[in-house]
Amino acid sequence: LHDISCASIYNPPRLVLCRLSQVRGSRYNPSFLEPEVNKELYQKPWEELSEEEREKLELKAVQPIKAAPPTVSSSVFSDPMISKFTNMMMKDGNKVLARSLMAQTLEAIKRKQLEKYHKAPEDEKETIECNPYVIFHQALKNCQPIIGLSSITKGGKTYQVPVPLKDNRKRFLAMKWLITECRENKNRRMLMPEKLSQELLQAFNNEGPIIKKKHVLHKMAEANRAYAHFRWW
Amino acid sequence: LRLMYTATAMQSKNAGASGPEKYTEAFIKKQIEEFNLGKRHLANMMGEDPETFTQEDIDRAIAYLFPSGLFDKQARPMMKHPTEIFPEQRKIQWGEDGRPFHFLFYTGKQSYYSLMHETYEKLLNVQKYQDQLAAQDHLPQKEKRNLVGSRWLTKIELEEMLLEKLSDDEYSRFIQLLQKLMMLPCGDIEEKYIQKFSKEVPAQLQKVVIEPLKYDGQGVAFSTGEGTRKTARATAVVYDNGTGKITVNGTDVLHYFPVLQDREQLLFPFQFLDRVGKHDMVCTVSGGGRSAQAGAIRLASAKALRSFVTEKEVEFMRQAGLLTFDPRVKERKKPGQEGARRKFTWKKR
Repeated sequence: LHDISCASIYNPPRLVLCRLSQVRGSRYNPSFLEPEVNKELYQKPWEELSEEEREKLELKAVQPIKAAPPTVSSSVFSDPMISKFTNMMMKDGNKVLARSLMAQTLEAIKRKQLEKYHKAPEDEKETIECNPYVIFHQALKNCQPIIGLSSITKGGKTYQVPVPLKDNRKRFLAMKWLITECRENKNRRMLMPEKLSQELLQAFNNEGPIIKKKHVLHKMAEANRAYAHFRWW
Repeated sequence: LRLMYTATAMQSKNAGASGPEKYTEAFIKKQIEEFNLGKRHLANMMGEDPETFTQEDIDRAIAYLFPSGLFDKQARPMMKHPTEIFPEQRKIQWGEDGRPFHFLFYTGKQSYYSLMHETYEKLLNVQKYQDQLAAQDHLPQKEKRNLVGSRWLTKIELEEMLLEKLSDDEYSRFIQLLQKLMMLPCGDIEEKYIQKFSKEVPAQLQKVVIEPLKYDGQGVAFSTGEGTRKTARATAVVYDNGTGKITVNGTDVLHYFPVLQDREQLLFPFQFLDRVGKHDMVCTVSGGGRSAQAGAIRLASAKALRSFVTEKEVEFMRQAGLLTFDPRVKERKKPGQEGARRKFTWKKR
């Protein structure tokens, strides 16, 4: 005779972090503020701050703040523009590959510029920019369109109306054009870093297919000037 | 339980019944009498003094007498004052002849518009008073009001106060009017009126106790911290007088985290405090993926570093987002969709 020990399957309430179902919302309370990672802002002494900044600081002291995302860091090497560009280059969430491609691109730019630097005569050496970050920023800036086109339907017909673009939109368009250009128009079997560095250097010197695309867009906007009054915002 | 904050309106109890009065005044009165009687009976049953039987005692008694394993707290047996159970309702707003009592009844939101009118009247009064003072050149200097400790009523709280539904636009208009009133130099006259619509935010809730430093066998100061991110759990022990060596689960950080981004995250708190080569760290981490483990160790090390650092720097760390737990987790898949957000391919037929 054996005891029939009824093994009751009773799961004691565990302190599991219940993942509450979340539908169409942010996991943060709307009162949470964005974190400020830049070290220099925190090193300013109290006396140097203006009235407004002191008020803002006081308010911030009582408000909760979101966690810093894993892509952001306070080191000199983390640049928000570069991170944005890396994310746009990323495919299927492969951040490791995107980051390595970005690093290789910056290295390629540096190599090309250093080659140019060593070959150049003495007086031209100062004009050659070797810092890849500066080149990247300047190239993006040169690629940004000022005015864009928006399709507005009026009286059955769709018109392309010239419209001023917001900063975010300009940056996005510049980055998008760069990436699509590099992915599609590789004339021979090139790898992404090589092609990207080539395009960035061309954009830095205000030449190349992306600058041409920007000028084409500007010309279209100029041509459609007549419809500018269709814009109501 | 961590709360979820949705963009759509939260399901709030209907403030002000839509329809005729469900609970008459006489009914509520009777309920209150029954509640008081029942309270005394309960006190007698539990052997306590009926005179000093508080609501907490009632809750404990009910939980003892009627134990319930139900998950939802609202579904369990409860005994509370009728005003908490029966929602407040608007009284009938018209007389026997059918004529409404309030002159703004036909706006549809009589309490909201009458409130706006009242507030604007106060504003005009203050402006008149200000003009009088200006004529005599007695304008007082505006003292900086301490905005830190107070906040305005939320939309839901205002709806409960007025017993009427409001739209976001109307709510924001009311708040703007209140702010305008507050900003005027002589706005302090109407201080009482404004206080009705503001609530205090207790700043002490955020005071976290920072543990003091501990000392190990060799006299080296160290401090521990715990951190989580998604499903990863980490504990970090930060030692003083170190060389910047980091050990994770017994292996060196270079072997455990081959990706640069993760190592950057581990160094983030140290780099922020300019203490890169000064501390040693030994951590254990389990669960989660590569990035989650790095985030968990980051939080753990930031918490451990609090003990080494001044209060001001702790505040700076908090404002940089190093000391906040990251609540983002994987969103669940919904039925009828392929993933959390991705829908099935739309086929025309």
